[in-house]
Amino acid sequence: MKDLGAPLLSIVDGRRAASRRIRGPQPHFGPPLRCNARLKKLLTRHYFMSRYAEGARPVAWVTSGAPVELLRVFDFYTVYPENHGALCGAKRMGTELCAAAERQGYSRELCAYARIDLGHHFTGKTPAGRLPRPDLLFACNNICQTVVYWFRSLAHYWDIPLVLVDTPFNFETPSDLQNQYVAAQLEETIPVLERVSAQRFDLGRLQHVIGLAKDTAALWGEVLDTLKARPAPMTIFDAFAHLAPIVSLRGLAVTRTYYRMLLEELRERVDRGIGALTVERKRLMWDNIAIWFKARELAGLFAERGLNFVTATYTNAWAETGAMIEPQRPFESLAKAYSRIILNNNLKGRLQLMERLIEDFGVDGLVMHSARSCKPYSIGQYDLKRALTDHLQIPSVIVEADIADARAYSDKQVATQLGLFFEALEHRDVPRR
Amino acid sequence: MTATDLPERKTYLRQQKAEHQRNVLGVFPAVYPREVLWSLNILPVEIWDPPLQAGRSAAHLPPNTCDVACRGLELILQGHCDDLDGFLFPHTCDSIQNLASIVNDYLGTGKPCFFFHPPRGSNSKAAGLFYRRQLESLASAVRQHFGGPFDAGVLSASVAMGQAIDAAICEIYELRGQDRLRVDNAEFYEILRAGEYLHPNETLPLLKKLTEKTGSVDHRKTPVVLSGVLPSPPAFLRLLDDLDLRIAADDFMNCSRRLQVPPDPIEDPFTALTERYFRMPVCPTRQSTTLQRMQRLIALVGSTRAAGVIFSVLPFCDPELFDLPPLVAELEKRGIRTLVVEAGLNRQLSGQVAVRVEAFAEMIGSGLQ
Repeated sequence: MKDLGAPLLSIVDGRRAASRRIRGPQPHFGPPLRCNARLKKLLTRHYFMSRYAEGARPVAWVTSGAPVELLRVFDFYTVYPENHGALCGAKRMGTELCAAAERQGYSRELCAYARIDLGHHFTGKTPAGRLPRPDLLFACNNICQTVVYWFRSLAHYWDIPLVLVDTPFNFETPSDLQNQYVAAQLEETIPVLERVSAQRFDLGRLQHVIGLAKDTAALWGEVLDTLKARPAPMTIFDAFAHLAPIVSLRGLAVTRTYYRMLLEELRERVDRGIGALTVERKRLMWDNIAIWFKARELAGLFAERGLNFVTATYTNAWAETGAMIEPQRPFESLAKAYSRIILNNNLKGRLQLMERLIEDFGVDGLVMHSARSCKPYSIGQYDLKRALTDHLQIPSVIVEADIADARAYSDKQVATQLGLFFEALEHRDVPRR
Repeated sequence: MTATDLPERKTYLRQQKAEHQRNVLGVFPAVYPREVLWSLNILPVEIWDPPLQAGRSAAHLPPNTCDVACRGLELILQGHCDDLDGFLFPHTCDSIQNLASIVNDYLGTGKPCFFFHPPRGSNSKAAGLFYRRQLESLASAVRQHFGGPFDAGVLSASVAMGQAIDAAICEIYELRGQDRLRVDNAEFYEILRAGEYLHPNETLPLLKKLTEKTGSVDHRKTPVVLSGVLPSPPAFLRLLDDLDLRIAADDFMNCSRRLQVPPDPIEDPFTALTERYFRMPVCPTRQSTTLQRMQRLIALVGSTRAAGVIFSVLPFCDPELFDLPPLVAELEKRGIRTLVVEAGLNRQLSGQVAVRVEAFAEMIGSGLQ
């Protein structure tokens, strides 16, 4: 669930711009989604409003996999540092902010999002204009342990409370014991949230918020399901951007409304046979976080070969676990849903998910991004790749790069890796159905 | 038994199996309830830094994986774990987490894997209850696999043994801090780390013997505090010895950060173990804040009159690397000299590391006191 770039509007913009640029002799992209403009408006408003939240509303900085529904009850304005990291990466400001953190002694080996965030702390620089200083940090280690150390550093520098929801990793089938532990922690956070927000907890409101989140997750699942169509009405690069509201604005009515509109538009495109690419020859799956500073370039590179990414391992995470949420059992069901997201599951679980996605979406090839920043996503990919090759005989490639630090990217190396993959893909005779 | 006649690890494990019918579990870093295993006649053998050349692990782990995880996997892949009856993976960090999943889900070692999650948050009611129930769950799972009855009395005895070991180590650290222990850095840690594979019946006498090696020291060495994951490689410790630097105290993940100070009386063994966990010194892999770590380091420097702090950093070790900048900044602000070195776990120490440590020793006046 890492990152899910809310402000990846630049990617959307880029896709539209690229589409405009190349809709001459070689128009590889179909018409852009009408909802892109709506998404931009929604997220721009969110970031714009955040500048004025400080002092007016309690502000929390939140990790992408944290159960934000709890914060909504207390009217917290939420900011996602991982989103911000993705934005900085996409705007090619990531390296500069990483370097700023490194000058303060932070190792280049650490997660680029964390370094960007710390670099922002030390310099105040951000492409978002200004980020509000938080009253509270809210972290959940269901996406990685790194967020624990990262948010502890922020808590230290700002001397503000850090609420950590500790979700034991699912090495095996999740046990009742784990679930009860997470649920009990959620209940234990209530007094802290009450104190910081100066508001009383309201169970009815939590149930309402959870209901919205559940509905929205279901809609998101339906949105992703439209990509099963041939041609797929959008690419997974579009989905990365349109995932942003369910992450950043989960539990709000505006988000549910947004996904209803997006779903309607995508279904209309499916009915009319409008694809994300003008020609969709083969269908691919992406594994891991995007290479934000190269996303536009990579989207074009694949599109010109008629290769469309129709699914990714993390985009459906909220759709999948959202169904586990039960408004009548708020703490228990939130604990269950948030403990079972992809990055908190063992590699066997990830393999099963990938196999299912490959089958369901008729995937012909797999691109795995080994992200230097993200150990939980990247360690184990070699074994996953081997297992998928054995089980499904599917061509795959591992691209070594990073999510937001451009210094970890080698054009030449990636070109070589992808060149071999393209060749293997072309020699795969029978497309999957 | 002394440092010079410590048994070779493999021979010792075979002997334990043959003579005591003990099952042996390979345990990955860092914190686990050793007493539960002891009580079930299982010998935990910790896997931190086996002296192996990396090779086969590269087929499973990307290059940004820490050396502890790489070497642990290498140990399995090179067939050095044949004498082990299973593995225990505490959930310490992202690298150990995914390594555990690779071993359990893909390697097909044919050996059982057990897991344990040290809570990250504060000592809340939820965390305490979870920890305690995990202890019971682990005991049950291990017992179910290896057989044998559970005996609360035996567990209480194991807890008492663990407390005695902790107390002995604390005494040794105190002697070390006061410069009353007549052993060099290399020997000091060789004995302390023997507890990573010896049965407590052998560990305790070994530690007791070490506490007897006291007396006035002829040649005063400059006291320093070391922080990091583990005191390794031995070449690094020998270098410090050669430079007349005495490790007066440490903040190592696999040494002093795992000690309980002071022990509680045992009424219920599971409760005692739970309290032990939450009373251990702070560690970024568990419950801790940056401020608490700072305070601990400053206290260690103060109590041992150390001339500086050396951070021995392992590449790609996220928990340590995140804490490093604020710790260094605060210590420097207080006039405490610091050195950050990436000694790694290779047997051979790089010339660059040696030069930097030499310069640091000179700066803090080693040999002049």
